[in-house]
Amino acid sequence: MDTTTSLSRRSVIAAAVIGLTGAAAGVRAQGTPIRVGSTLALTGPLSATAQIHKLVGEIYVEQANKRGGWLGRPIEWVVKDDQSKPDLARTLYEQLVTADKVDLLMGPYATGAILSAMGVAQRYNKVLVHHTLGIPSLAKYEWQFPAWSLGSDPATTVPNTLFDALAAGPKPPKNIAVVTNKFPSIQFMTAGAREVMKKRGLNEVLFLEWDFGNRDFGPIANRIKDAKPDFVWVGAIGLDGNLLLDAMKKIDYVPPQHFYLYPSPGPLVALPEAKNALSVTIFEDQPPFTANTGAAEFVKIYRERATKAGLADPSVETQAAASYTAWQILAAGVAATKSLDDKAIATWLKANRVDTLQGKLRFDGTGNFGDDLMRIKQIQDGHWVVVWPKEVTAGGAKLLAP
Amino acid sequence: MSGFSLPSATLLAQSILSGVFVGALYGLMGLGLSLSWGLLRLINLAHFAFAFLAAYLCYQLASKGMDPLATLVILVPAFFVLGAALQALVARFAITPFNSLLLTFGLTGIVEAIIQTIWTADFRKLESSYSPMKFKVGALYVPIPELITFAFAVALSFAIWAVLRYTDLGKALRAAAEDAPIAAAFGVDQRRNALLLAGTCSALASVAGVCLALSFTLAPSQIYAWVGVVFAAVMLGGLGRALGPLIAGSVIGVSEAVTMAVTAPSWAPIVSFTLLIVILVLRPGRVG
Amino acid sequence: MNRLLKHRTPWVIAIAALLLAFVPKLGLPAFYDSLLYLMLHWIVLATSWNILSGYTGYFSFGHGAFFGAGLYTTSTLLARYDWPFLATLPVAALVAALLGVALGAVAFRVKGVRGELFALLTLAVTFVIGTIVGNTPLDGGQGVSLSAVPVPAVGPTQSSTFYLLALAAATLTVLIAWGITVSRFGAGLYAIHDDEDAAEVLGVPTYRYKLIALAISCALAGVAGGIHALFLSYVTVGEVFTIAVPLTVVLMSVLGGSRHWAGPAIGAVAITALMYSFTAADHAVAGKAMIGAILIAAILFMPEGMLPRLLKNRRRSAPLLSVHKAAAMSAAAPAPAGAQGDVLLRVRGLHKSFKGVRALGGVDVEVRRGEILGLLGPNGSGKSTFINLVSGHYTPSSGTVEFEGRALGGHAAHRIASAGISRTYQIPRPFGHMSVLDNVALATMFGGGVGNPDEARALAMRWLEFTSLQDKAAALPDALNLHQRKFLELARALASRPRLVLLDEVLCGLTPTEIDDAVALIRRIRDQGSTIVFVEHVMRAVMALTDRIVVLHHGELLAEGSASEVMQRPDVMTAYLGNPHALSSAHA
Repeated sequence: MDTTTSLSRRSVIAAAVIGLTGAAAGVRAQGTPIRVGSTLALTGPLSATAQIHKLVGEIYVEQANKRGGWLGRPIEWVVKDDQSKPDLARTLYEQLVTADKVDLLMGPYATGAILSAMGVAQRYNKVLVHHTLGIPSLAKYEWQFPAWSLGSDPATTVPNTLFDALAAGPKPPKNIAVVTNKFPSIQFMTAGAREVMKKRGLNEVLFLEWDFGNRDFGPIANRIKDAKPDFVWVGAIGLDGNLLLDAMKKIDYVPPQHFYLYPSPGPLVALPEAKNALSVTIFEDQPPFTANTGAAEFVKIYRERATKAGLADPSVETQAAASYTAWQILAAGVAATKSLDDKAIATWLKANRVDTLQGKLRFDGTGNFGDDLMRIKQIQDGHWVVVWPKEVTAGGAKLLAP
Repeated sequence: MSGFSLPSATLLAQSILSGVFVGALYGLMGLGLSLSWGLLRLINLAHFAFAFLAAYLCYQLASKGMDPLATLVILVPAFFVLGAALQALVARFAITPFNSLLLTFGLTGIVEAIIQTIWTADFRKLESSYSPMKFKVGALYVPIPELITFAFAVALSFAIWAVLRYTDLGKALRAAAEDAPIAAAFGVDQRRNALLLAGTCSALASVAGVCLALSFTLAPSQIYAWVGVVFAAVMLGGLGRALGPLIAGSVIGVSEAVTMAVTAPSWAPIVSFTLLIVILVLRPGRVG
Repeated sequence: MNRLLKHRTPWVIAIAALLLAFVPKLGLPAFYDSLLYLMLHWIVLATSWNILSGYTGYFSFGHGAFFGAGLYTTSTLLARYDWPFLATLPVAALVAALLGVALGAVAFRVKGVRGELFALLTLAVTFVIGTIVGNTPLDGGQGVSLSAVPVPAVGPTQSSTFYLLALAAATLTVLIAWGITVSRFGAGLYAIHDDEDAAEVLGVPTYRYKLIALAISCALAGVAGGIHALFLSYVTVGEVFTIAVPLTVVLMSVLGGSRHWAGPAIGAVAITALMYSFTAADHAVAGKAMIGAILIAAILFMPEGMLPRLLKNRRRSAPLLSVHKAAAMSAAAPAPAGAQGDVLLRVRGLHKSFKGVRALGGVDVEVRRGEILGLLGPNGSGKSTFINLVSGHYTPSSGTVEFEGRALGGHAAHRIASAGISRTYQIPRPFGHMSVLDNVALATMFGGGVGNPDEARALAMRWLEFTSLQDKAAALPDALNLHQRKFLELARALASRPRLVLLDEVLCGLTPTEIDDAVALIRRIRDQGSTIVFVEHVMRAVMALTDRIVVLHHGELLAEGSASEVMQRPDVMTAYLGNPHALSSAHA
């Protein structure tokens, strides 16, 4: 795609978005609502993260309706509880499409439910924008679009980004301990990391996998300590990072440098021994991210509402950002095609770029994934600070190594 | 599966210790469940929900500045009353053990919903003054929160064992469990004893909850994460036997920890549960 | 033709299934197909669980393992070997069944593994298999993606295909569950539920039956798993090998009523509908609490389950036969082959020790055809042990037991029962959930070898008449007094037409009048052609009835001969009453 075309397309989008968000205060959305349907894991083991997506969706829809909605019509979000069960998600998406007859679909939370929803979308020729699919190779439907910019081969590109960051840091590691959860979207990333490590000539001193739901991290912490690594890659999701750090603290072990793949960010940041922990993100509540489209306002509103809702961490990071991005993507498709036609929206999205919280996104790669926009962040002084690549850092932030 | 690696003696010992501690928590959580299943014929799934409710309450009180162990002073009596009250309500109906599973499943759902409404689905971790405390025995680290759990588990298990074995109340409870009509004929006041026992089981749940809050991160959905392994410990240890859950829990905890120390941690459940199966088949008499 | 129409229920089920098969054609939104699929899916799982656990009482916490085995069999065949989907289902059923039988073959052999220990074993197996699947190429942690697999066009849409497949599976499952309840196999399972040891002694091949029930249960769960694999299109270990599946099927069966074949199905529909009605986001969390409250209310007010409560309002048709001929008792039993006075039972050197306690120390006894042999001795002398050994309740430590020339020592009790030996228990052990008639019919079906349950009931009725219990035929054993329960024991012992009847203190606890009745009854039993070994303390009955007696003491044979002779012997009197010299000197 040449720059002039993309530039002119970009202006079209910018204009459309501006038109929608419009300086024209008091432009009220009217007419029959546009109904967008999705499910979320509002109860069950996945509810801790899904509650973020619920909040983001509500914020988006409210703000968008204040500015005139989509195509001048108000947006109505029909969301159901799939109780963290993919088979229920599938059935509910079928209900949304065939019984409730919603106009458009939005993706659910987590890989399993997304794959179920994707099947339904495929059968009924609906476009599906989703925000948390962790395994790009499983996304085989033509009309699905990811808001989480992992790129098509995150198992290679993300570890490379990380090791680039470490190599440019004060103490590039040589001996690496790799420990991981066996959760599907984590495990395959860890496998990719190990390949990358081999190619870079790094030495793997330990490799351990544990089952999702493991409670006792004592022996694992001990084995890490015994292996004396310079760097620990922790394939963590949810609580794992905390539990492992707790276990390491109990045996007086602080890893020299450590990385956690998809931890729950809030609880991790609050932990004193998580100092200097590294992780990945597509968005943080700091410049330059806050300069992206829609970011500044969203970040503020989210913080207010999350605090009011009693959420432990009221700042926007990967989950909330991906969720908001998904709505932005769908909105762009609707605005550009001036329709609710799934085929038109899908065709348009594949051929164009959308300006979002994460930056300019494209969908023309394998599986409709575009660039890998995962950045490296680090806990410094009890806050997450983006440290790599240089162009997205602010205030001279750098990767620290004790 | 990665191969076996010969662990250092320290690693092995530390892992065993870790397994003992987590086993003690299984035992503590299982104690109330075992007593109510064995002596009251109630399979109390809500035991886990009560433990978590207590854990959350402890977290709440502690974040307002109270010492987590001091919360026991409030929680234990409160849960005792809760348990006895529920028993009083339920005793009016004829409940078989499997009916009680359904009943307590419903109750668990209610408690989980209450927890999620008040504290949201977020993960909550209590950072208390005990969290960083530990001491060393030779090369081994002994963390204080886990030691507290272990101490509670052992003390309470033995205390209950002694009560069941040596006191009249204990004998009355065991008699009523074996043959209720005959026990009644001998003057055992089953209603009163059942209330006492139900209250005690609930109180035990609250102690387990405080220990949970001290060492683990809490989330409403975590309630179900413990059901499988604690049920296993309870069944292996023999229903209604006070020392059973502790011993069985330790067997499970240590076998898993040792597996994690010498080979791929993801194989841990195989070792512990195969061991369980072997024990059952070779010696189906109760462990402990 | 008459046999086909005798039972209405299978026709009702089949017609209902046929009607339901037209639902996809109704043009409803496709999601109803998926919702109904989920209900049917749970009907299969809950009903199949109930076939083992509800009917036999062997509470299994392992249904997830068998469901998962079927699920992963199908996934592997589809993803790796490109099998056509429908062909994988029978394989899924087979793999699950084999797994179950392997488990059962070990678990059911160990006598102590019952109740919660069996539940634990099955739960442990679930975790073991789940971990194996998660750590091997079967899944390996990545999950198995089946999105590329074509769904066969059984119905007009994909969802309707699953619906129809599940409908077929559910119909099959429910028909099997019903069929079991009206068959001899089912009666055996119910007997195992109430009292497994008594069932075994009455001739029910308990080990084999439990394995069969387990195999059927697992196979059906395997089919459900296979279908569900493609429904999910992405399967992970964490979804399947947990306590969630077994817990849910228990709840469904208990809610619906686990003794009835349709109970679990009702429970499955109710709970799925309940879980489904609270999916609106605004009330998601509150919905969970509501569901909990509804379940609590349901079980408090319907403690036996929904179905029994629903059925209570309809008039129950009595399981009695409206037409039966009260044939004269003499027509009932054919004259036994072999002459009067032949040796029927020959016991040599019979020895039994329990962990160092010697109950019987090498006893030789002969029982002659047509006689009433009294087996006497003070408490602890080994009389009950003797009966338990001969009937197969225990295995001899050493020695031989020969019956009608065949060696029977060490054989399973049910084979001994079929060979023609039966016994009563000192404390009656009737099957508490079965009617008096069914209790007796069980013996007819198993020890007596009558295959057809209705025929068995007709024959059983005659035995009830023989023991004057015919008015109580439809009652539950709870409603009988001790005397009637003893007679029930007798009727049950006789219903298998045994050639040798072992009576264990059948008179204890009876009033003098009742004792007279019983004595008369026992005589009639002998007159009919049975040989009787009669353990008793009531002396006048012993004197009145027995042809010979045998006295045991400390596990050894002390004396043998006619009643009046033996009871005069000093060593026998010492055994019963203590040292006679001490007595006489005290009086001197």
